[in-house]
Amino acid sequence: MIIKTSMALFVALLAVLLVGKAGHGADDMMKKAAKNAEKAVQKSAPAAAKPAPNETAAAEAAFQKLAKELYPKAQKEGNLIVYSVWDVEHIRAITEAFTKRYPGIKATYWQGRNPEIVTRVLTEFQGGQASVDIVLSDNAPAVLRAAGAMASYDTVQKNVLVLHDPTLPTVSLQVQALAFNTKKIKLAEMPKSWEDVANPKYKGLIALDDPMRAGPLSSMLAGLKDQWKDDGRFKNFIRNLKALNAPVHKSTSAMFRLVISGEYAICMPALLHDVINEKEKGTPVDYVRGVAPIVFPRVAGIYAKAPNPNTAKLFAEWAISQEGQKVIDSVGRESSRKDFKSKTSIESAFPKGTKAVPVTDKLFLEDPKKWLDTYVKPIWEG
Amino acid sequence: MPLLASTVAGAAIVTPVLIVLWRSFTTGKLGFSVGLNLNNYLRVFADRDILPMLGNSVLYAAGSAALGTGLGAMLAWIVARTNTPGKALVELMPLYPILMPPIMKNIAWILLLAPRSGILNGMLQQFFGIETLVFNAFSMAGMIWVFGLACVPLGYLFLLPVFLSFDPSLEESAYIAGSRPVHTMLKITFPLAVPAFLSALVLNFLRGLRSFETPVLQGTPGNIKVFVSRVYDSMALEFNTGLATAYSIVLVALSVITLYFYVRATRFSERYATITGKGYRVKVIDIGPWKYVTFAAVFLYFLAGIAIPFVVLIVVSMIPYYDYETFMKFPSNMVLANFYTVLRHPSFITGLYNSLSLSISIAVITVFLGIIMAFTIYRTRAVGTKIFEFIGTLPLAFPPLVLSVGLVIIFLGTPLYNSLWALGIGLFVAYFPYAFRNASGAIVNIHKELDEAAWVHGARWRHVFFKITLPILKPSVGGALFYIFIEAVRNVDVAVLLTAPGKEYGPVTLFEYFRVGQWAEAAAGGVIYLIILIVAVSVAKLAFKMKFSL
Repeated sequence: MIIKTSMALFVALLAVLLVGKAGHGADDMMKKAAKNAEKAVQKSAPAAAKPAPNETAAAEAAFQKLAKELYPKAQKEGNLIVYSVWDVEHIRAITEAFTKRYPGIKATYWQGRNPEIVTRVLTEFQGGQASVDIVLSDNAPAVLRAAGAMASYDTVQKNVLVLHDPTLPTVSLQVQALAFNTKKIKLAEMPKSWEDVANPKYKGLIALDDPMRAGPLSSMLAGLKDQWKDDGRFKNFIRNLKALNAPVHKSTSAMFRLVISGEYAICMPALLHDVINEKEKGTPVDYVRGVAPIVFPRVAGIYAKAPNPNTAKLFAEWAISQEGQKVIDSVGRESSRKDFKSKTSIESAFPKGTKAVPVTDKLFLEDPKKWLDTYVKPIWEG
Repeated sequence: MPLLASTVAGAAIVTPVLIVLWRSFTTGKLGFSVGLNLNNYLRVFADRDILPMLGNSVLYAAGSAALGTGLGAMLAWIVARTNTPGKALVELMPLYPILMPPIMKNIAWILLLAPRSGILNGMLQQFFGIETLVFNAFSMAGMIWVFGLACVPLGYLFLLPVFLSFDPSLEESAYIAGSRPVHTMLKITFPLAVPAFLSALVLNFLRGLRSFETPVLQGTPGNIKVFVSRVYDSMALEFNTGLATAYSIVLVALSVITLYFYVRATRFSERYATITGKGYRVKVIDIGPWKYVTFAAVFLYFLAGIAIPFVVLIVVSMIPYYDYETFMKFPSNMVLANFYTVLRHPSFITGLYNSLSLSISIAVITVFLGIIMAFTIYRTRAVGTKIFEFIGTLPLAFPPLVLSVGLVIIFLGTPLYNSLWALGIGLFVAYFPYAFRNASGAIVNIHKELDEAAWVHGARWRHVFFKITLPILKPSVGGALFYIFIEAVRNVDVAVLLTAPGKEYGPVTLFEYFRVGQWAEAAAGGVIYLIILIVAVSVAKLAFKMKFSL
């Protein structure tokens, strides 16, 4: 055992030297790729009206045509490696449906939290490792793009998407809603807007997601800031939120559980699919339909050094297609398409004409720390 | 040879640490290489908020370590040295709480102690009309209580072998001189257990300093910020492992100070030698009617350590959702859907199987090398071996995510990356401090005269080690093996970056449910997991008479 351990260490030390060398080369590549990413202007649209039937048909035709080209190449590659923040059950269901649709491809996955995904992919990227094809997540891919670790890929089905990013294919959405415990507060007494949440009369009733982490509340702030385009209003909102002296949580899901338990009456914010799933089970939670949902893209980003790039593209396109969206919807995640109706789609869950607030601020997406230090920290911690 | 083996083990620990240290001087945001500079450290020293955070961290870690280690030591003494009734039960009761993962205790105690929705405050209100919110999970006291309970197993497992291998002549001399049992216990028994006690205390203190789940789940809502959150923010917001390492250096400094006091306190190791060349049998003390009090103490710990949180989790896993009202309606509202969901999960069984096989090997290797390192320090004449005191404890000062980055960098580009070997070495590095501190605490209690007798007769190191030291350390070995196996089998934070795609490690479902906040499903998974382990431990203990340091 000692001999084997010594050998492992020898190999390890050798690897350090090699990685050290490779690291410098990787840095140059990263800087170059980061510059390219800078050029990629994010074009995002808020929740818009349903696309015309011909747009749906055109998207489907474009997908089928591309899939026909990609599938033989993907078959030759034979593998798909996915890193994801999603629940293992969801990743399994989605990758199994994909491999069933496209036989000859074997899918494997690794699941971690966003910081773990970013740390792993960046370390692998800087070490020159061709380790993963798809990063299926919300916060991680944009950050990785800023480091040059994501390949730019524009989907052929862009016209049917609620939020479109020309470099990262949006396969689902994170939709935030204003949720509450129906045993603790009546709908009529609930805030009528996000801004209204900061009203002093709700003091003692609310729990907040930590606005100083890259989580749902900070992304909501980024979305609202963009929408309001009014610094005074934005600063006042944060100041008033702070004045509530509300308990702050670093885990949105733990906070939501405590709202269900009755510890708090109002959840700022909750994820729509969680609220709908719980509501269906008879849990005493609901959400305010009049408060505009905040939408954040969940993407299937393609790794810059993907060992199976054609399979990665095929997967991203399939996930956006009607067929892929059905699978994504079946595990309870929101569709990214305007023409896909499900219980968690904005069209079904909110009144007609509701305009969602998209989170598209490039600085927030790629460097949340800098954005928070600039716009939130001086007020929140000042 | 022991020096060589210790050096190899030390190198395995030091290499990832050196890598992350190097990167702390050369890496900026997003892992970009920025040339040799001190920027990360300048930022740490310029951070005005870290002092109050450090104050909270030290209070939390010291409070939990004192509570947990003290309670563990008391339980070990009761089990080993008193005539407390119900011997078989008393021996088993302190073991079961070890099986419960700390995160499960967190969730259960939050549900018990939450101010407005907690079970205990609800009961006080419903049955006694007390409107005041007596309990508060989101307070420093609540954090210390919950993490303190998680610290008990180390205290118990480290102290038990010491009390079991005690030369009673020391106590008998005191009795002959007219000392009363309590006086003897305080003046003779406990002082001789100081090295093992301090070993467990140091480990628990360092665990507390870097612990994250309890401060996140219980501290943040109560506006209690701890230092380690800065390390995690560096990773989660700036994706800068260099800065995270620079922050971790503060923890390393605290570890060095703690170890300095430990080494000073135990520098005359002969003073603590309770295992000598004389033959003896461990004496059980008749504590009279106090034996019922000690039984009650063990039983109370059993209730707080596992029974109450376990019952809470069972109920939570079987009700449609948790709130006090729904909880109290149980069992009329019982549903089994959560169990169905967990058992149907595609990777519950495979993850458990993978981790079982690796954890057994890792526990054996780690414990063995831990003893060798402690042997090198205390039983060989090689120069400079005290450095191993520091090296052997070093991994505990680094938050697991930071340490795993160093390991990933080591293995990248080699055939070891994404292999079980890499994961195994990662787990070895992470758990080595437990094996090492356990062995060093125990080895100090063995009088050198036993080795010296062998040396005088021309024995070589291997004879001394395998024929004398190792057999005497058997009780400690059992405890450490059991502890490291239980910890490694459920490891998430070290394993996460080292697990290959497609190879689940650990009962992933259970921890995934906790991580994503599905508490009912998590509770169901936890109940299944605990039942498997409780049955395994009970069968091992009762049917096969297996000793977990008992």
